[in-house]
Amino acid sequence: MISQFFILSSKGDPLIYKDFRGDSGGRDVAELFYRKLTGLPGDESPVVMHHEGRHFIHIRHSGLYLVVTTSENVSPFGLLELLSRLSTLLGDYCGSLGEGTISRNVALVYELLDEVLDYGYVQTTSTEMLRNFIQTEAVVSKPFSLFDLSSVGLFGAETQQSKVAPSSAASRPVLSSRSDQSQKNEVFLDVVERLSVLLASNGSLLKVDVQGEIRLKSFLPSGSEMRIGLTEEFCVGKSELRGYGPGIRVDEVSFHSSVNLDEFESHRILRLQPPQGELTVMRYQLSDDLPSPLPFRLFPSVQWDRGSGRLQVYLKLRCDLPLKSQALNVRLHLPLPRGVISLSQELSSPEQKAELAEGALRWDLPRVQGGSQLSGLFQMDVPRTPGPPSHGLSTSAPPLGLGPASLSFELPRHTCSGLQVRFLRLSFRPCGNANPHKWVRHLSHSDAYVIRI
Amino acid sequence: MTDSKYFTTTKKGEIFELKAELNSDKKEKKKEAVKKVIASMTVGKDVSALFPDVVNCMQTDNLELKKLVYLYLMNYAKSQPDMAIMAVNTFVKDCEDPNPLIRALAVRTMGCIRVDKITEYLCEPLRKCLKDEDPYVRKTAAVCVAKLHDINAQLVEDQGFLDTLKDLISDSNPMVSHCHPPWDVSLSFLFAPLERMDPSICEQVTPRLSHANSAVVLSAVKVLMKFMEMLSKDLDYYGTLLKKLAPPLVTLLSAEPELQYVALRNINLIVQKRPEILKHEMKVFFVKYNDPIYVKLEKLDIMIRLASQANIAQVLAELKEYATEVDVDFVRKAVRAIGRCAIKVEQSAERCVSTLLDLIQTKVNYVVQEAIVVIKDIFRKYPNKYESVIATLCENLDSLDEPEARAAMIWIVGEYAERIDNADELLESFLEGFHDESTQVQLQLLTAIVKLFLKKPTETQELVQQVLSLATQDSDNPDLRDRGYIYWRLLSTDPVAAKEVVLAEKPLISEETDLIEPTLLDELICYIGTLASVYHKPPSAFVEGGRGVVHKSLPPRTASNESTESPETAPAGAPPGEQPDVIPAQGDLLGDLLNLDLGPPVSGPPLATSSVQMGAVDLLGGGLDSLIGGTNFVAPPTASVPANLGAPIGSGLSDLFDLTSGVGTLSGSYVAPRAVWLPAMKAKGLEISGTFTRQVGSISMDLQLTNKALQVMTDFAIQFNRNSFSLAPTAPLQVHAPLSPNQTVEISLPLSTVGSVMKMEPLNNLQVAVKNNIDVFYFSTLYPLHILFVEDGKMDRQMFLATWKDIPNENEAQFQIRDCPLNAEAASSKLQSSNIFTIAKRNVEGQDMLYQSLKLTNGIWVLAELRIQPGNPSCTVRLSLKCRAPEVSQHVYQAYETILKN
Repeated sequence: MISQFFILSSKGDPLIYKDFRGDSGGRDVAELFYRKLTGLPGDESPVVMHHEGRHFIHIRHSGLYLVVTTSENVSPFGLLELLSRLSTLLGDYCGSLGEGTISRNVALVYELLDEVLDYGYVQTTSTEMLRNFIQTEAVVSKPFSLFDLSSVGLFGAETQQSKVAPSSAASRPVLSSRSDQSQKNEVFLDVVERLSVLLASNGSLLKVDVQGEIRLKSFLPSGSEMRIGLTEEFCVGKSELRGYGPGIRVDEVSFHSSVNLDEFESHRILRLQPPQGELTVMRYQLSDDLPSPLPFRLFPSVQWDRGSGRLQVYLKLRCDLPLKSQALNVRLHLPLPRGVISLSQELSSPEQKAELAEGALRWDLPRVQGGSQLSGLFQMDVPRTPGPPSHGLSTSAPPLGLGPASLSFELPRHTCSGLQVRFLRLSFRPCGNANPHKWVRHLSHSDAYVIRI
Repeated sequence: MTDSKYFTTTKKGEIFELKAELNSDKKEKKKEAVKKVIASMTVGKDVSALFPDVVNCMQTDNLELKKLVYLYLMNYAKSQPDMAIMAVNTFVKDCEDPNPLIRALAVRTMGCIRVDKITEYLCEPLRKCLKDEDPYVRKTAAVCVAKLHDINAQLVEDQGFLDTLKDLISDSNPMVSHCHPPWDVSLSFLFAPLERMDPSICEQVTPRLSHANSAVVLSAVKVLMKFMEMLSKDLDYYGTLLKKLAPPLVTLLSAEPELQYVALRNINLIVQKRPEILKHEMKVFFVKYNDPIYVKLEKLDIMIRLASQANIAQVLAELKEYATEVDVDFVRKAVRAIGRCAIKVEQSAERCVSTLLDLIQTKVNYVVQEAIVVIKDIFRKYPNKYESVIATLCENLDSLDEPEARAAMIWIVGEYAERIDNADELLESFLEGFHDESTQVQLQLLTAIVKLFLKKPTETQELVQQVLSLATQDSDNPDLRDRGYIYWRLLSTDPVAAKEVVLAEKPLISEETDLIEPTLLDELICYIGTLASVYHKPPSAFVEGGRGVVHKSLPPRTASNESTESPETAPAGAPPGEQPDVIPAQGDLLGDLLNLDLGPPVSGPPLATSSVQMGAVDLLGGGLDSLIGGTNFVAPPTASVPANLGAPIGSGLSDLFDLTSGVGTLSGSYVAPRAVWLPAMKAKGLEISGTFTRQVGSISMDLQLTNKALQVMTDFAIQFNRNSFSLAPTAPLQVHAPLSPNQTVEISLPLSTVGSVMKMEPLNNLQVAVKNNIDVFYFSTLYPLHILFVEDGKMDRQMFLATWKDIPNENEAQFQIRDCPLNAEAASSKLQSSNIFTIAKRNVEGQDMLYQSLKLTNGIWVLAELRIQPGNPSCTVRLSLKCRAPEVSQHVYQAYETILKN
């Protein structure tokens, strides 16, 4: 049972505050939460906190704190799932979730909360069901503004291929205003994979896993049927064999409960009648066996002169993507020993940039073509550690605090598992003129791509 | 004009504007105004002054506007009850609105306005809405009944709402009968069969392990964990279940960090209970570079718990990497983890030590300090094995600035003083800033220097004098002063004893340092998937008022193959009469156990009387001179010494005893009133009554001999038959003068426990033969077991935990002691005077749990958990005992009962 729900901005200001049961402390609680959160010692977790018989459970989403309080020994999983569902709902109804959209739509958010939770009991969280009750219309921000960076989200982001949807296209509320007939019928389908890799300093692969999901955001009327065709060689589990090649193999797959799998076994087709709004159609994961080579290899070499404190790091980055593919927004982050101040650099191409930021080296490579190799030579001065000077003057043993290097990047039009959407077919026939727009996109990005030095 | 006035005026201005807008004719403008009011409300501005104006807007057919007004009302009705009454008519009217949304809205809002006056008006509309044609309205009304129930439960019953609710449960529309489906995941339907121990539940539960909702997954895990408690580990099915549990737990770790954290806290419990579930999944707990710190630390902890010989190389390699990261907190924990690995997996100790040495070489301050702290623990676990690294440690002495690290280093220097050439110099260097050190360091320094002195007495007298006077005279810390005095007195009276005490062999530290107590762990397993599993505390510790808290515990383990090796051990709690009558000869299982640890008699030198001065006298023999040479040892200044310095020298030592073994031993164990053991009729006029006592470590049999015959009795002698605990008299039965008719004499017969052993039936049976000039008489008596409870029966906390866990559950015996109105405090002190020591105390749901230990003269440990419910009218205390020789439990229980009731 939930006592209160509130949303705080990243600075701790209450944007939304709702007390369901009137049994606890009033609105000071929100402040209390923020104080407790910020005053927490480094090794304690903020996720579930306890104060005088009241429990705070929160998630952070788009810079906001979504918090529920309860005074009972409930399931934190349930509450966390509820919170993340709420964040999706708010996104659906307000366009996107953010400080601006929430404060513009206070009344709408309260209305939603009233329907989702009554007296602290969850009533429904289905976008579809809620449509019947919600009266307030979302206030949408200006269509697109360079300053509105928070709207550059997953759907229709800059990395779109040839046909680019405007980046704000997907960040609008699902509920079209009843008057607005020009509303476009659009469907966005994303195959997104998160790649985590751990490479030992000798280059051997310690761990790799891919978390993938197929996400759909539909602006079509609810209940219109669609079929999603996946790569036919798609195999689930270690033993299944399909097609003649090695197949596209994942370890585990789970589907949204509304997905009809009648044609999945035979043709790898998912059928569904999605409600309006966002929906994760399918999740899958894959570990250890990646069908394609890792996108990046890093060859570091470190020279450290303990005597003078001169540290020289030479990094060679090889991109093993297919020649036609490219990686975008590649950033290498290399923590440096404490106290490093100066940095001199020689980079292999002019569009790269490297700088010191928060005790780490940040090397930005806006665009890396498949098959290419880039390098950077960095020299730094490390303040000498107290204690007797070491005997071996120059050594390749890295000083403490150096590394591990981590890479972040996006790989448009690339899935690490190899999974592709073959087609997206809609049975929906609009009464009006325009055919619905379909946007299908494949994207991989790094989750934790770590190379030890 | 004051500031506050200034602010009020502005506010007034704003509110004035809003007021005007609210009273506007245009609907749009009104709507915007109410929205503004709500926005102000959210940021904490007081807009209650607008109440009447907002309520005025209620009379509208615009649904959106109406909803907004209701939103406002819900917030302010409580603080403005009189105003809220104004709105009641509209509520009642809205409950009849043709639009179901409005009907539901009205009924919902009325329930939220927690004003008593409103409830009167609420009943009628509520009744109607409960029977509304629209399911949405019915559902909302049902929730409203719950709200009303919290305000006025009586009213709800009087009005018959509960019955109406019951009808709703069978409502045809699922929206009503099932109004909060996915979140209220209790899987409650599964628990009924669980109580019947029905294996079919597993088939029902296992599919839920792959449910998309993690709350469901965890509930299923919980059910299976409980179920496994009842399964024998030998069954194939057990293995199958184990395999099924791992994948869902691993899957939880791919969620958002918040969920991951909650999952990890649960996994931490699961791993402590059944490490085998995840033993092959070490890799998923490897820390990701971008994990939030709280996830990292939790993963680290689980890694250590899963570490075993099989995977230790992998784990160590990871830990070493972590130790070079940037985040200081994380690095420290990683270094500690390496130490924990060394202690947990013996085979890895060497590699751990060399890894730690590598880390020390980095010279990074906090890394070095952490490393030294853990190396100290490694020394305590594996003494005399890795001392070669001491030299390296000493090099880093100067860089230590944290108390824990300094204390650890000082401990190492003191402990291995004989191998460190310049130990005295090192310790002396710490002494300079003695008063600036933290207490921890001061205490450690004091002990270390005393150790050094005992090892190298000739060179370090000055140093030890210096530290003793620093500790006793210049310090205002009582702990430090007391410890200083103890050492001082000990050294000045009996250096040999001092050596024995200070340089005594230390118990090895236990394997895992931060295990959750087994009973608590079992309880927490029952709370998997709830907040309790995140806090690792029972719900009573954080749920206010304990509302709805039911104490849960795992089902008792069924007897499985593993427990049936010895039929003798099984009926631990059974009354003695049910045990087989045949008493096996010596050398059977129990005999073996009883023979354990017979080493030195714990009871101390046998003495006929017990006074405070005894005990130490003999120990003071020699040795003082040999150790100190000719030095004059200055006794501590009388002025500031506790009063008993004037007492005989021995008292210092018994003081010390007192400190180590707890308070109150001097008063002695409970003594039962004398009972007649041998009636005169059976012994030709000799009547013997007696009892047993235990005082300051010595047992005696207090006898009263009465001559009821007509002739004089002489030539008394006594002999014991062999018995279970080797009791034997240490002196002859001395009746100095002949016993004339009708004369009574009282004798205290000292006993020792070094006689020979024979298992008796019952265990505490003692057969005695008494001879006099007339004849030989035999009688048998039962002695209370607590006379065998020795003074050093206080187990170390960690040791207790480990032992409790280690002793199989079949050896646990449960008892109830009725009519015992003591509280925990009183019980604890009563028991302590009979050498039952309380190690820890915990309050669980209003019950006091005392964890106690005691040791028998033959070295058998008995661990006890005493549960006292202060408010319980029947005054029943529950006792559960664990012991490797379960035969003694029954008698220990009797001892408990006797002590507690007297």
